[in-house]
Amino acid sequence: MDDIKILLVDDEEDFIRTLSERLEMRDLKSNTAFDGEQAISIVNDQEPDIMILDLKMPGINGMEVLRRVRKSYPNIQVIIQTGHGNDLDESEARQLGVFDYLKKPVDVELLVERIKAAAKAMKLKDSMAAAAFAEAGEHETARKMMKG
Amino acid sequence: MKMCSGTVSLKALEMKSSGSYYAWQKQLFVLVVIVVSVVPLVIISWTASHYYKKSWLQKTALELSGLAGSRKEIIDLFLKNQENLLSGFTNLYSLEYLSVQGNLEKLFGAMNKSGVIVDLGVIDRRGRHLAYVGPYKSQLADKNYAGAEWFAEVMQGGRYVSDVFRGYRNEPHFIAAVTDPARTWILRATINSEFFHSLLASAEVGPGGDAYIINRAGELQTPSLLGGKALSAEELAMLISSDRASVRFTDNYIYAMAPINRGDWTLVLKTDINTSLAEFYTARKRDMLIIAGASLIILIVATLLVRSMVNKIEEADKKRMAMNNRMRQVEKMALVGRLAASVAHEINNPLQIITTQAGWIDELLDDEDDKRLKNYDEYRDSINKIRGNVKRAGEITHRLLGFSRSNGYERKEIDLNRLIEDTASLLANEAKAHRITLRYFFEQGLMHVITDAAQLQQVFLNILNNAIDAIGQDGVIDISTRNNDGHVIAEFADSGPGLSPDSIKKLFDPFYTTKSPGKGTGLGLSISFSIMQRLGGDLKAGNGKEGGSIFTVMLPAH
Repeated sequence: MDDIKILLVDDEEDFIRTLSERLEMRDLKSNTAFDGEQAISIVNDQEPDIMILDLKMPGINGMEVLRRVRKSYPNIQVIIQTGHGNDLDESEARQLGVFDYLKKPVDVELLVERIKAAAKAMKLKDSMAAAAFAEAGEHETARKMMKG
Repeated sequence: MKMCSGTVSLKALEMKSSGSYYAWQKQLFVLVVIVVSVVPLVIISWTASHYYKKSWLQKTALELSGLAGSRKEIIDLFLKNQENLLSGFTNLYSLEYLSVQGNLEKLFGAMNKSGVIVDLGVIDRRGRHLAYVGPYKSQLADKNYAGAEWFAEVMQGGRYVSDVFRGYRNEPHFIAAVTDPARTWILRATINSEFFHSLLASAEVGPGGDAYIINRAGELQTPSLLGGKALSAEELAMLISSDRASVRFTDNYIYAMAPINRGDWTLVLKTDINTSLAEFYTARKRDMLIIAGASLIILIVATLLVRSMVNKIEEADKKRMAMNNRMRQVEKMALVGRLAASVAHEINNPLQIITTQAGWIDELLDDEDDKRLKNYDEYRDSINKIRGNVKRAGEITHRLLGFSRSNGYERKEIDLNRLIEDTASLLANEAKAHRITLRYFFEQGLMHVITDAAQLQQVFLNILNNAIDAIGQDGVIDISTRNNDGHVIAEFADSGPGLSPDSIKKLFDPFYTTKSPGKGTGLGLSISFSIMQRLGGDLKAGNGKEGGSIFTVMLPAH
């Protein structure tokens, strides 16, 4: 699991710091961002594998971050974790292709379970894509993907 | 704004809902009907009756005065005849001839065939009674009339008719006397006034009526038919003050008067108004009965019509009020939805932090030596309680968010009967545990609906859960479905205690609950209500005729 890069995005700093530490106790390395701008710049710099994203944030809000990430980095698995239980937001997020939509308060155990599931799905997807590319003879791309 | 105006008209309706308003309306309408129909009827009948009475009296008066006229003619003719007869004899015979008793007797015999003349006498210019024929010969034979008033009068005027008097004979009679053309002697006759009496007695003045003759002083010349010896002072004053050829009305009588005997006497006919109006009163009584009957019919018809009319209005008002109540409920739900969403969100974030921090402490405790920490177990326990309660609070906020669900629900054609059966099966074990029987009365040809099955299922679950809680132990829940005018209706009737009036009012309000604290959030039915509104249907609650509550779910059919 130590090779998974996780990005936690939430404007509640206390929560994010504690969460990051607790994930670390479970051998999950994570980076943190406290608003939308920061999140996007970190994504651009480090391209995480999994992103835990809050929807309601000052500046660029979570939905906008999600849109941009899905557009530029479709391979990043996004798990929404929000206090906003609005079913419109949920359906929009799901349409944009999030891995899961969790409503706060979320127990860490559940979050960890979902992160692991997302990582598994990501790997499966990667290998399937790689297999597909390999079949099509796109070795270069496949190799790149496998590496990423 | 909309809500505001809704509230105002609702207040007006609530005022109306107090039964007295409609009772007052009924009374008012009935009153109006009476005023516009019965009152004119009574006025017309009263006026007509008044007019009729007046003309009836006039007719009676006319008849009476006609009668008086004809009687006057007869009496005057009679007097004139007697007078003419006497003066005829004075022309025909000389004083010398008639002074002979035998001759006078012969004449008396010839002229008194009718028996009207009581006696006959011949008096010379000095007042001496020269001859006399009649029953009172002994009293009157040597009488000298020189001092009598009438003697002077007849000697001066050539004729004289006396008032009726009893005189020496002590019986009613009057005297007619004429002189010879040279006024040297007098032929005098006593005439029985019985004739007048019988003439007047035959006048048709009706029961209570009267007919008599009075002189200038108002003394009765003939006995009153009613037996009075003299007129009452009141009557006398009235008669003397009147024109002697007129008709007079008093409160009880009509008087018709005619002057007779050259104005010396007055013939009076009197009729009792009440007697002559008897027929009129009978007719009026009958008319009044008819009018009373008609009024009663109008009143009954008006009351019945007004009652049914006002009842219809009341019903319409009630419907409107119920609709307004639902509108208010819907508006309230929308408001609660918006509020709930923002509150839930604001609370969820702190809850997240609390549970995360608590979890963090929990994990950190793993690193501690439980031997060295005196209250190690207490910390663990406390943390678990914090997490448990955060979970509980989170459940409430998530339920609150149920209000703000959008209209973007899933639309699928569903068979309501099957959906209800599936939903009820989820609760089968619980129902069994409480010895509650579920009975189904499904309409087989139930129309399908297109809706969000999951949300609808939530509504059914809520209703069934409430029914089980309401019954407690041992009971029945009857579930029926039917088609109704383009809608599909599902009814859930339980054998519980039913809903109190207060409950019916507040049932759909968020956080209203009759369950013990911690057992119910008071959100189930209010969320169900808003779900049904969103699905384009409706949810109503009431009590069954045989007790227990009935929840009715309505959806537009496909």
